[in-house]
Amino acid sequence: MTTHDDRRNDRVEQAIRNAVDTALPQINGIDFDAALTSDVGLDSVQVMDLVMEIEDELDLSVPVEVLAEVQTLNQLAARLRNMIRGDSP
Amino acid sequence: MSLFDKFSQLAAARAELGAEGTPPVATPIEDIISAAEGVIDGKRVILAGTNNYLGLTLDPDVVNSAKQAVDHFGTGTTGSRMANGSYSAHAALERELASAFGWPSAMVFSTGYQANLASIATLAGKDDFLLLDSDSHASIYDGAKLGNAQTLIFRHNDPENLDRRLSRLGADASRALVVVEGLYSMLGDQPPLAEFIEVKKRHNAWLLLDEAHSFGVFGDRGLGLAEHAGRLDDIDFVVGTFSKSLGGIGGFCTSPHAQLELLRLAARPYIFTASPSPAVIASTRTALSKVIAGTDLRSRLWDNINRLYRALEEFGYRLGSDKPGPVAAIILPDRESALAHWKGLLASGIYTNLMVPPATPKGLNLLRISLSAAHTPAHIDRIVQAFGYLRKAA
Repeated sequence: MTTHDDRRNDRVEQAIRNAVDTALPQINGIDFDAALTSDVGLDSVQVMDLVMEIEDELDLSVPVEVLAEVQTLNQLAARLRNMIRGDSP
Repeated sequence: MSLFDKFSQLAAARAELGAEGTPPVATPIEDIISAAEGVIDGKRVILAGTNNYLGLTLDPDVVNSAKQAVDHFGTGTTGSRMANGSYSAHAALERELASAFGWPSAMVFSTGYQANLASIATLAGKDDFLLLDSDSHASIYDGAKLGNAQTLIFRHNDPENLDRRLSRLGADASRALVVVEGLYSMLGDQPPLAEFIEVKKRHNAWLLLDEAHSFGVFGDRGLGLAEHAGRLDDIDFVVGTFSKSLGGIGGFCTSPHAQLELLRLAARPYIFTASPSPAVIASTRTALSKVIAGTDLRSRLWDNINRLYRALEEFGYRLGSDKPGPVAAIILPDRESALAHWKGLLASGIYTNLMVPPATPKGLNLLRISLSAAHTPAHIDRIVQAFGYLRKAA
């Protein structure tokens, strides 16, 4: 049975995948556990572009302060799920 | 492990620009001949990358003001504005800036960087919000980092994107400070100011306009893009710098809100640093009077701007802005061609700025030219001619 949490997780993960396709078309099959800067090689401007795409996909605003605290897409996804749940970012 | 390991990527990026020849980063300028010419690698060059938009750095009146101030007041104030660093001339410059805008208050800072740092970090506090354009200058991002407000980024020059972010804040948008620039220094593009004003008014938000590169250039009295657009009444704060059109070093924030004065008690980059030297305050006061009365200077600058933009478009270059302005950013396909252009122009006796990622938006490789009222028609001829050679060689 699909739970409410599963659907929310799917929505966040799909939004991130869509955002990667749009903002980083050169990257194929991004690893959600890879560090965005040191492993994937993104610079701070590319990370910002990616997050702006995710914001549009999910219709929520991600404070810049959150970006300083996450290294991987899985970590970002966890923060996004908290925000959607209404917890502090 | 070393403390320096974390800089390896930066070191590699610099190494990619080549170790041979004149360095394109922190290029040594051996001498200054005029506001438009200098010496690099022993060779006389046209300076077309110095942000000296009105060429006032060597204006005789501006230079004499600085000399007289050094002779009379000495080389520095040796103290903060909060202690012994507030001379009559610092206050006079603040009155003159406020008066130029017709507003009750202005504050002077030791650098333009600190003007943004202080204004942004202090105006937006713990329970407030900052909304920054994604192409904002580092001083704006650093102001956000220094302060405690929640910071949101909106897409570059996209009022609709800002509108969505302010809508999500609901009533809290009345505690949001929106920051945009009058001219973006990397691509040389301008914001859709009227649309941003409409959005900020709709949400009762506040608007800070950084006129660092637009002050002296736009408007009948050179006050910047807001004056040019006839929208000064709709701006809450204007930040500017003394190190471009005013030819010195320092910065300011001015506002129609008299409570700006309260920042003197709270802004750390204002309090915990030495105040600007008497010489720089004196030269800036003289330069300010020349900017305000500088219709002829602006007319010369705009002749140069229009001529270069037209030529670059005719050569088929892709430019960062479709509206001509004092910065012409040529977008090149990769780092190698940007570097080749930079070197080719220097070989032709023209100094420009090479801008490559991560310093640039959207990973662009740019050759950046800044024009000046001090450039003569012959200077512009030579710049256009050099681009013509490069285009043919490509």
